[in-house]
Amino acid sequence: MPTAGGLSNSLTGGKEIGCTAVQLFTGSPRQWHHPPLDPEVAAKFRQTQAETGIAVAVAHDSYLINLAAPDPDILDRSRKAFRRELDRSEMLGLPWVVTHMGAHLDSGEEAGIALLIESTRAILEETEGMQVGIAMETTAGQGTGLGYRFEQIARVLEGAGAHPRLGVCLDTCHIFVAGYDIRDEESYQKTFAEFDRLIGLDRLKVIHANDAKKPLGSRVDRHEHLGEGEIGIETFRLLVTDPRLKNIPIIIETPDSETMHAVNLAKLKRLAAGGSLGMRVTVRFFGHYSDFSPDGMEVSVPGGATVASLSAILAEKDGRLAGIERHCRAAVNEEYVAPDAVLQEGDEVAFIPPMSGG
Amino acid sequence: MCRITQEPIDVRALEAKVAGASNGAVLTFVGQVRNHSRQREVAYLEYNAYIPMAEKQMRKIAAEAKARWGVDVAIEHRIGRIELQEASVVICVGSPHRAEAFEACRYCIDTLKETVPIWKKEVCPDGAFWIEGEDAIQAQP
Ligand SMILES: [Zn+2]
Repeated sequence: MPTAGGLSNSLTGGKEIGCTAVQLFTGSPRQWHHPPLDPEVAAKFRQTQAETGIAVAVAHDSYLINLAAPDPDILDRSRKAFRRELDRSEMLGLPWVVTHMGAHLDSGEEAGIALLIESTRAILEETEGMQVGIAMETTAGQGTGLGYRFEQIARVLEGAGAHPRLGVCLDTCHIFVAGYDIRDEESYQKTFAEFDRLIGLDRLKVIHANDAKKPLGSRVDRHEHLGEGEIGIETFRLLVTDPRLKNIPIIIETPDSETMHAVNLAKLKRLAAGGSLGMRVTVRFFGHYSDFSPDGMEVSVPGGATVASLSAILAEKDGRLAGIERHCRAAVNEEYVAPDAVLQEGDEVAFIPPMSGG
Repeated sequence: MCRITQEPIDVRALEAKVAGASNGAVLTFVGQVRNHSRQREVAYLEYNAYIPMAEKQMRKIAAEAKARWGVDVAIEHRIGRIELQEASVVICVGSPHRAEAFEACRYCIDTLKETVPIWKKEVCPDGAFWIEGEDAIQAQP
């Protein structure tokens, strides 16, 4: 959530749209240096968090930090900056600072991971006694970025002695474009089983719920609104109804935060409540089908549903409607359409049996 | 010029709509309810329509006829209960010349049967049947 006007505004802004968890930058993400956090600001933040009842607030580190940088100067700056990230978050009472795992910048993945382990160990040692932990985020694998395979994260975890202040943040968009399919129940379960085997679900501390603009394995990180990208809404239904993930904060990092965070959040809430999300369409029946449903019906269908998938939903509701798509032509908003026509919120779908006017 | 109506169709009034001064021919087709169908005696018919779409499709037919033959077309289809020998549909075509009027009129009634979402229920002494193309499906009482 945006922190413009003060760090506490991320909490009040989150509260306004109904968040129970928020993520914020505790300093400008594109700057190395920040004035030290004013204890009064920190106190106000803690007080606001108590008032708003936001259960979990987590930080995201600066984009400049690279804990695997081969250049010793940059590495040193990165470690110091990350240390200050932890200081600030500790003052604010945040349990986790989410960090991208850095980039090896052509020094090779082995060298990059070795540095990352060294950085992590050093920082954990320096900050011993603090509560705040480091949540390593799964990445998209753009360029020389590290952390796009669960194995890499597992190695850093292990290398840093499986420290209790180390956790993992799973970003659905990142793992998907990195090549982990999660689009249906089977692939979702397979990917989470692999995460559990290599990293351990007990290490999962934060989830970033984002759809992806780019396809599976593309390694291009472009976030999309939930259900509108390559991943699709089903994954998010699985996510928010997965009992293993019940107590893990879910953060949305989709575009147009000011207008769309509320929309994406509402989608997750409906999915979590067992709603079949989606769109309401009005369905009308004619000929002998009108005997079954003279006034038609309102049906909710998942985003991206087509006339054909609507027919399947209808057949489930009422067996007498099975096969309606073979017997009828379909019209959407009074125009004939093909069975693969994609439906929109509020559409009127009519099933037109062979006609007998004249 | 094109509409679905619950009332008996006024054929003369519909003809007047296409009888412009430049039209040398006014051709009227009347479809009426007959007393038998599929070897059954028919008591009366009940027509149903997806009204807004039906009217839209009828306007499309009239526009297409205008584009192809340069004719003026008015169509009315009645719905609800219609007794034997009453008109269910009336198509009026006004045209400068008769050949185009005949062709256009045939096009209009043939296309109407194909694309305008209207259905009839035949009410016979032994029950009622939805007519869906070639099929007659027993209606729920
Ligand atoms: Zn993320």
